[in-house]
Amino acid sequence: MNLGFLPTLPFELSFPLLFGVLLVSGMLGGEMARSVKLPRIIGYVTVGFVMAPLARLIGLDLLLDEARIFVDLALGLVLFDLGRRMDLQWMKRDWTLAAAGLAESLLTFAAVFATLLVFDFAPVQAGIAAAIAMATSPAVVMLIVQDARAEGQVTERALNLVALNSLLASIITTILLATAHLESRMDVETALLHPAYLFLGSLILGGVVASFARLVARSVEKTKDLHFTLIAGIVVAAVGIASMLKLSVILSLLAFGLFTRNDARNYDLLNVNLAPASRLLYIVLFVITGASLPPGALATGGAAGLAMAAARFLGKLVGVLAVAPIGGLRTRQAVGLAFALMPMSTLALMLHHDVTRQFPEFGANLTAVFLSAVIVMEIAGPILAQWGLTLAGETAPSGEAGVAADRQAARAPGA
Amino acid sequence: MPLDFKSSEPLTIGIELELMVLNRHDYNLVRGAPDLLARLEKMDLDGEVKPEITESMIEVNSAVNRRYAELLTGLERVRDAIVIAADRLNLAIAGGGSHPFHKWAERRIFPTERFQRVSSLYGYLAKQFTVFGQHIHVGVANGDEAVYLTHHLAPYVPHFIALSAASPFSQGEDTSFETSRLHAVASFPLSGQMPAVRTWEEFKRYYDEMLGYGIVASMKDFYWDIRPKPEYGTVEIRICDTPLTVKLAAELAAYAQTLAADLLAHRRNDDSGPVYRVYGYNRFQACRFGFEGELVDPIARTHTRLRDHLLATIERLEPSAAALGTAAPLGALAALAAREENDSRWLRERYQETKSFPDVVRMQAQRWRE
Repeated sequence: MNLGFLPTLPFELSFPLLFGVLLVSGMLGGEMARSVKLPRIIGYVTVGFVMAPLARLIGLDLLLDEARIFVDLALGLVLFDLGRRMDLQWMKRDWTLAAAGLAESLLTFAAVFATLLVFDFAPVQAGIAAAIAMATSPAVVMLIVQDARAEGQVTERALNLVALNSLLASIITTILLATAHLESRMDVETALLHPAYLFLGSLILGGVVASFARLVARSVEKTKDLHFTLIAGIVVAAVGIASMLKLSVILSLLAFGLFTRNDARNYDLLNVNLAPASRLLYIVLFVITGASLPPGALATGGAAGLAMAAARFLGKLVGVLAVAPIGGLRTRQAVGLAFALMPMSTLALMLHHDVTRQFPEFGANLTAVFLSAVIVMEIAGPILAQWGLTLAGETAPSGEAGVAADRQAARAPGA
Repeated sequence: MPLDFKSSEPLTIGIELELMVLNRHDYNLVRGAPDLLARLEKMDLDGEVKPEITESMIEVNSAVNRRYAELLTGLERVRDAIVIAADRLNLAIAGGGSHPFHKWAERRIFPTERFQRVSSLYGYLAKQFTVFGQHIHVGVANGDEAVYLTHHLAPYVPHFIALSAASPFSQGEDTSFETSRLHAVASFPLSGQMPAVRTWEEFKRYYDEMLGYGIVASMKDFYWDIRPKPEYGTVEIRICDTPLTVKLAAELAAYAQTLAADLLAHRRNDDSGPVYRVYGYNRFQACRFGFEGELVDPIARTHTRLRDHLLATIERLEPSAAALGTAAPLGALAALAAREENDSRWLRERYQETKSFPDVVRMQAQRWRE
């Protein structure tokens, strides 16, 4: 008798299994967070935290490392969606919007940079970390907006500012990397060409992909289902092309979204809602993010990490409060807007990942500081963002409580 | 509190328009009214802009005018101010009687005491009431004239429906109606028509009776198609969809003004009973078929095409129109009727072209600016 059809031990663990486990456990974690009135994201990330040591025990950790593909796809979708919400026409009509974005980004940079200098880090390293710190996590903000059903001026402005600071962070990080290369005596051409290639290449890729999407869209019926499939397919392909050409996934996908939105003369592409499908990727994204955060960094990063998170907080708060009221935002709204910009998560990790790969001199010390700041904001960010949108009065009132209160109040005649 | 009728200058006109507040990325309704209103508060306007039941609507009140031309100029000014304020907030504003694809459950009730009370009393009807109408006020000297005009304008309600119809789509579907908005109104318990009272005294007795039952608290609780409005000293026609342009809105007001002038100049004493017996049928014909509807004349016992009835009426009104300076707007309405053109047809044509509701709303918002 041949028993070769039976599996052999140890079992071979695979991506589909990993994906399923991450998804279901993440979802359960999210609902647990929800039950204690915390944003779901905190649940997803916590599941990741808890799973990382367990995964190591059963040998899943290697797969987890390779799960970067999920992260890229998820982030690609997020950035495309974000680019689509960024409205250059609006920034032209209301200059205070772009000005608030610039102010909060630059103040954040300055505050974090100064703080890191105080902790004796070298200027180039401190600069790169400060540039990354400018970025707000698009995934966290978009998920909070979705979950809280936030709608209104502050929400719209927050999404535009997130797009803006993500863009600035990516660009400035790239430029500073070039400077770093110069310092480490790499030749000048490479130091200049590399950021130029990344920036222009990603922009062109975004533009080309957007034109292609419009072209295909014109040849099919204008229904939500078809356009959804088209967009999902092209987003995934664009992530692939960007990695293939060693371009920036972040910039390419942001540009793709931006071009579909802002060059909309012909309105070929429907603005389909990607939320239901991207939820699956979001969950996996946050669980993996949680798993990739070493809790040990908190101890090593310590005071400097906390100081960095605090400096970032102040930079964003002061920057928004200085400019947003000029644009007609009330104080509550301006504070809400600033808080909505606090989350720091995957985008920062991805930028950091790219930096350490190209520039090992970034250093283990600064990485620990950086990661501990991310860990703090991974938990505090979603709470602050949700709180900010609620403060601005833009989150939906919770359904069931509303209906119960209605029944109570519905007695008096004469409405 | 006694219900006093405040006298106003006869045949002055004013209108209220309920407008859509939209986002600019997929042109769905959006929670933009509070910010828009806060911004408009600081501006000097020819009229008033107010909140409506859900946070995706605003209501524009024109000033009181004697002439069509003044009304139109004032409306254009307030429209421009709203458009500029909305631009700064990245919102779009549009006319039209219904939003083609919004989901009513997503709407949020405007947080004022009255709207919250309406919402808690009427449940989902309140959110489904996210429809957009035009109300036309015509000034009258006293309550008796308001009651008289309320009854005698009733036979012309189908005309206003066909001319203003701008809500062919609802919740993402073509309803096959020229106006679907009126169905949202019909669900309210106090919708329909004023009862057969003949004088303001009789009306007050009816009102006090309803007050005594605890059914109403103020005139606002009557959702009739036409009602006296004692606080303003007007008779109010509430049947129109908000048109896609302020020009059509002003033309409809001119039509109401001219009809009222004619009815006051040539008084009738006929019993309103037969008119109300065919009222529901005629109203349905207008909502469903627009200009092609068949109207029943209960006195002559004949059927007439709505379009022909409307054209004949406008022709009959010529002398009054000349006196009031409404010949031009009435001529424009007659031209629309002759071509059987209304905003619903325009909206359906745009949908045929684009096959996409967001595109239709975008074009609707563009048209509002023109």
